Amino acid sequence: MRALEWLGRTGLDAVRGAGALGLVAGRTVLGLPRLERRELSRALVQFGYASLPLALATAALAGVIVVLQAGLYIQRFGARAFLGWAAGYGVLWEFGPLLLGLIMSARIGARNAAELATMQVGGQIEGLRGIGLDPFAILVAPRVVAMELSMLALSTFTFLVAILFESVAALFTLGLPLRVFYGTFATMLSPLDILGGVVKTGAFGLAISLVSTTVGLAARGGARAVGQAAASAVVRGCAAIFVLDFLLTSLLAGWMA
Amino acid sequence: MSAVLSFFGAPAVMLARTVRASVRDGVPWRESMAQLNELGGRSVWLVMSGMAFFGAVLVTIANSQAKRFVGNVAVLGPAYFELLIRELGPVMSALLTASRAGAGHAAELSTMSVNEQVEALEMSAGDPYADLVAPRVIAGVLGVPLLSILGTVAATLSAVVVAGTAFGVDGRAFMDPRYVDGWDLLAAALKAGGCGLYIPLAAAVAGLRARGGAEAVGEATTAGVVAASLGCLLIDFAVSLAFQLLRL
Repeated sequence: MRALEWLGRTGLDAVRGAGALGLVAGRTVLGLPRLERRELSRALVQFGYASLPLALATAALAGVIVVLQAGLYIQRFGARAFLGWAAGYGVLWEFGPLLLGLIMSARIGARNAAELATMQVGGQIEGLRGIGLDPFAILVAPRVVAMELSMLALSTFTFLVAILFESVAALFTLGLPLRVFYGTFATMLSPLDILGGVVKTGAFGLAISLVSTTVGLAARGGARAVGQAAASAVVRGCAAIFVLDFLLTSLLAGWMA
Repeated sequence: MSAVLSFFGAPAVMLARTVRASVRDGVPWRESMAQLNELGGRSVWLVMSGMAFFGAVLVTIANSQAKRFVGNVAVLGPAYFELLIRELGPVMSALLTASRAGAGHAAELSTMSVNEQVEALEMSAGDPYADLVAPRVIAGVLGVPLLSILGTVAATLSAVVVAGTAFGVDGRAFMDPRYVDGWDLLAAALKAGGCGLYIPLAAAVAGLRARGGAEAVGEATTAGVVAASLGCLLIDFAVSLAFQLLRL
C-alpha cells in the first residue's frame, strides 16, 4: 500500500515538474520579443563576466587532472604520441562541459532560484502581474538568454585554458614537448569533435536556467522556502545535466560513427 | 589575494574550532548519526542515479575511442575501470554530494543565523560548533566515502550493462581489475575522505556568516555550494599531483 502511494506520488511529481518546465519554456519563448534589455545586460555581466574566474579555475584544474591521470597509461603503454589527442578529446567531450555545467549549476542555478523565490515569497511577482507586466518577459527570458550566451562564450575560454594547462602539465610531468602535444592534437581531432562539446554546453546552459527559474517561481511559504528553493535548484540542475550528458553522448557518438 | 586566503583559511579555522569544541563538550554521536542518515538518505538516490548515467557515458566514450585504434571496449576497458576507481568515482560522487549536502547545510545554517537561532543557542549555554558543525563534519567524513563506493558500484554496473546491450561486448571485460592495486584504493579513499571533510566545513563557513533576510539565505547557499564544489576539485588535484610526484 505504501509502495503504491510512493509510486503515485513520484509519478505525479514527475508529471507536475515536466508540466511546470514546459510552461516556463513556452512562456519564455512567448516573452522573447518583449525581453527586458537592461535585465539582460545585467544578467550577462553577472552570469558571464563574474563567473569567468571560477570557470577558468575549474578548467585549469580539469586540464591538469586529465593529464596527471592519463600520464599513468602513457608510461604503461608507451603511447606518448596519443596524449594530445586523448587529453583534448576528454576535455572537449566530457570533463569540460560536465564540470562547467556542474559548477555553473551551483553558482548560477542557486542564485536564480533564490532571487526568484525571494520575489515570489515577497509577493513582488504578483505585483508585476497586477500592473500588467509579464514576469516571464522581464525576469525569466533575460536569464535564459544570458545563461545560454554565457555558457557558449565560457565554453570557448575554458576549453582554451584547459588545453593550455594540459600541454604545460604534460611538459612538466611527462617531459612531452609542446610540439608533439599540439601535433597529435591537430591531426587527430576533427571539427566535429568541437561541435559535440559546444552542443553539450549549450544544452546544459538551457537546462540550468529553465530548471532554476522554474524551481524559484514554484516557491511558496516564507524564508524557509527561499533556502529550500536554492538547494533544490542545484540538485535538480545537476541531475538534469547527468541525464542530458548521457543522452547527448549516445546520440552524438552514434551519429558520428 | 584576501579571497584566496579566506577560501583556504576560513574552513581551517572552522575545523580547529570544531575539534576544540567537540573535545571540550564531547562528540555528539547521536546527532552525528542523525546527520549521517540525513546526508546519506537524501544524497544516495542522486549519487547512484547520476553515477549510473555517468558510467554509461564512460563506456560509450571508451568504445568510440577504442574503435579509432583497434578492436573494442575489451582493449581499453581495464584502463577505464582503473580511472573510474581512482579518479572519477570518488570525485563525481563528491561533487554530487557537494551540490546536495552543501546546499542543504548552507541553507539550514544560514536560516538559523538569520533568524537568530544560533544566538539563542549560545544564550542557552549551547555551542554552535559542537552542536551544529561537528555532527555534520563527522557525517561528511563517514558518509562521502560510503556514497563514493555506492556511486562507483552503480557506475560500474551500468557500464557493464550498456557494454553488453549496446555494443555487444562481454561486459565483464570492463570490470577487469587487472590494473587496480592498493595505491588506487588509497588515492580514492583520500579523495573521498578529504571531500567529505571539506564539504560541511565550507557550507558551515558560508551559512554561519549569513546576516540579513531571505536574500542572505540565498546568497549563503550559493556561496556554500560553490566553495564546496571548487574545494572538491582542488582536493582531487592535490591528491593526484602528490601521487604523480611520488610515482605511485
